[in-house]
Amino acid sequence: MRESPGSLVRIVLLCVLALVAVGYALLGPRPSTSGPDDRIVLNYWEKWTGTEAAAMQRVVEAFNASQDRIHVNYLTMSSIDEKAMLSIAGGAPPDVLGLWSFNLPFYAQADAILPLNLPGIVAETYAPAVRPLLFDGDRQLAGVNTCSSVAVYVNLDHLDRAGLDWRNGGPPRTLEQFDAMIPRLSVVQDGSVDRAGFLHMDPGWWHWCWPGYFGGKLYDVETDTATIDSPENIEAFTWFQRGQRRYGRDALRRFQSAPTDNPSPYRNFLTGRLSMTIQGPWMARVIAESAPELNWAAWPLPGPVGSPEAPAGPIECDILVVPRGAPHPDEAMEFIAFTQRQDMVELVSSLHAKPSPLMEVSESFRREHPNHSIAAHEAILHSPNGFGTPPLAGWPELNAALTAGVDRIWNGDEDVAMVLAEVQDEVEVQLERARTRRQRRNQRRFGGGP
Amino acid sequence: MTWKRTLTGLLWISPWLIGFACFTVLPLVLGAWYSMTDWTLLEAPIAVGTEHYARMLGDEVVHAATWNTLIYIAITIPLLTIVSIALAMLLSRPARFIAFWRVAVFAPSVLPLVALATIFKLMYDGELGVINRGLEATGLQGPEWFTDEIWAMVAIILMNLWVVGPAMVIYLASLRDVPRDLHEAASIDGVGRWGRLVHVTLPMISPVILFNVIIGLVNAAQVFVVPYIMTGGGPNRATYFWSMYVYDAAFRYGDMGYASALGIVQFVAILLLTIGLLLVGRRFVFYRGAVS
Repeated sequence: MRESPGSLVRIVLLCVLALVAVGYALLGPRPSTSGPDDRIVLNYWEKWTGTEAAAMQRVVEAFNASQDRIHVNYLTMSSIDEKAMLSIAGGAPPDVLGLWSFNLPFYAQADAILPLNLPGIVAETYAPAVRPLLFDGDRQLAGVNTCSSVAVYVNLDHLDRAGLDWRNGGPPRTLEQFDAMIPRLSVVQDGSVDRAGFLHMDPGWWHWCWPGYFGGKLYDVETDTATIDSPENIEAFTWFQRGQRRYGRDALRRFQSAPTDNPSPYRNFLTGRLSMTIQGPWMARVIAESAPELNWAAWPLPGPVGSPEAPAGPIECDILVVPRGAPHPDEAMEFIAFTQRQDMVELVSSLHAKPSPLMEVSESFRREHPNHSIAAHEAILHSPNGFGTPPLAGWPELNAALTAGVDRIWNGDEDVAMVLAEVQDEVEVQLERARTRRQRRNQRRFGGGP
Repeated sequence: MTWKRTLTGLLWISPWLIGFACFTVLPLVLGAWYSMTDWTLLEAPIAVGTEHYARMLGDEVVHAATWNTLIYIAITIPLLTIVSIALAMLLSRPARFIAFWRVAVFAPSVLPLVALATIFKLMYDGELGVINRGLEATGLQGPEWFTDEIWAMVAIILMNLWVVGPAMVIYLASLRDVPRDLHEAASIDGVGRWGRLVHVTLPMISPVILFNVIIGLVNAAQVFVVPYIMTGGGPNRATYFWSMYVYDAAFRYGDMGYASALGIVQFVAILLLTIGLLLVGRRFVFYRGAVS
């Protein structure tokens, strides 16, 4: 079969186009590794969006303005932990990653992040509860971006109307006193809840925290065992279940189903349908934006009678790490060191309405802070009883098992001890599997045992 | 010349073959290999044989996910089949603005599932949702959709009816293909409307029903986006499906080896169910013009 001249031309043109495409792919432009004035470009991935992202942008701009050698390229994104994992596995990670503190054990165990060497920064630079979230023994694995503790936000007008004398009496000192306030703040008519005093599952973001108020914990680091069904935890989740039984499951469902016009997850507190709620310090910003007329205060949630004097509460941090394979690790550490400066930490913390994670806090930071109850959050942060999530690579899986158990305790009428025992069994299996996996890896790395 | 013709044919379809090999066969083979390794994604995989498959037998999360997925398949497929055939029959009749109604039924299928799921999450919301507000307007107390184990599953199943469009369009086309003379002959024999539906229409469109059921099965067995966005698998894992466990194991628990094993089991299960459906189809599906 003879080719016509026209088809020959088409084939030649196609081949030329294909060659151009292949050539462009192989030899075409590459992402620039140098920034303005030929500075080294650091790629910094952060998880925040909106106001919170803008706050960090100011730190990045301050760093870039202070530099003639390094330029930070700031990128915000969703699902950052998954993208980070894939980028490290693919050998193309950014220079700096903004993660959550509960991500750290998993990345650390896989040697996926580099230990930090930040001049002038030691463990004592940070508040006590923050230290274990950043350090593994003496090794600093992460810098801190912001930090938050969880406190009870209280509608003071409701307290006044209920005749609760918080002005002279101050915040409740024990959980029993706190519990006694709830019925006085609640408005229940004919089995229908018009206003709830306090709901453990509103917003339901920290269901893992209740044992901490009772001196319990979910996991024992020393023995590497789960302690889900310890007596303290049973007591904590029994108290949690009483919160549902106080109103009744069906009444609460009707309460949650009642239409309101506020789309926020904070709506019940903001609209006055809930008198007290546990929240992070950013709540001050939310109230200022959505319900500025609200008369409120934040207090640490007290523990039961006999608990230590120092307040307890969950603590979470946003952290900065240098991933394994980062193109410019030394420059990345220089940037992280800059973000750990007191003025920079206070700038971001203030814009986020959060407490400072550092030991040294300036007077102006407290004076001008947008959260007028920041002292309550600071008290928890600096308390020996502040606690974070267990330092466990398998925390997300443990938390999933606990969440399913918490659902059963809250939505059902199941026996707390029995449910926790079942969760304990499930978590023990997870931990055993994690031990086996660690052992396998250690054997390959060192040829020895765990 | 045969080998030359074959080679020419292969050359012409080589772009597809290369794509199929790279993006379907290779991931499947790699998935099978990774399913027999312990792999965190951040470290090199370690061979563990069939450990993951043995683990599945005693894994309570697998049991919950299997049960939920089977329930979902068992309810969704008949429901979707009935609703889409009913809509197709309704929209195959001459009526005013028929083109508008057809577009109205199909249009939601064009929307991304993520957007649809997000919209439905708001609609189902106990406090803000139009569904509960509508029920309240009629004097009924709407359920708390996402905190009740049964209602959460119902919410996800009902949402799927919204994307009935593609199946409906296929049924609509197949209904037009049913010979009119068969209906006329049945009418003359005194067969009523129901009888004509059961004995004429359904047998004539049975190959299309089988096709849609298989596609529905493949989709239902991989349900992910809607429950992931609407319920996150809760409450108490009542809407936790197989694909969600694959995703969680891989990206939240850092257990890519186990996730691969779950994926391989899912693939084999869908394959077996499809073969089963095809075998059943041999008995119930009528192919017009087929040599008996």
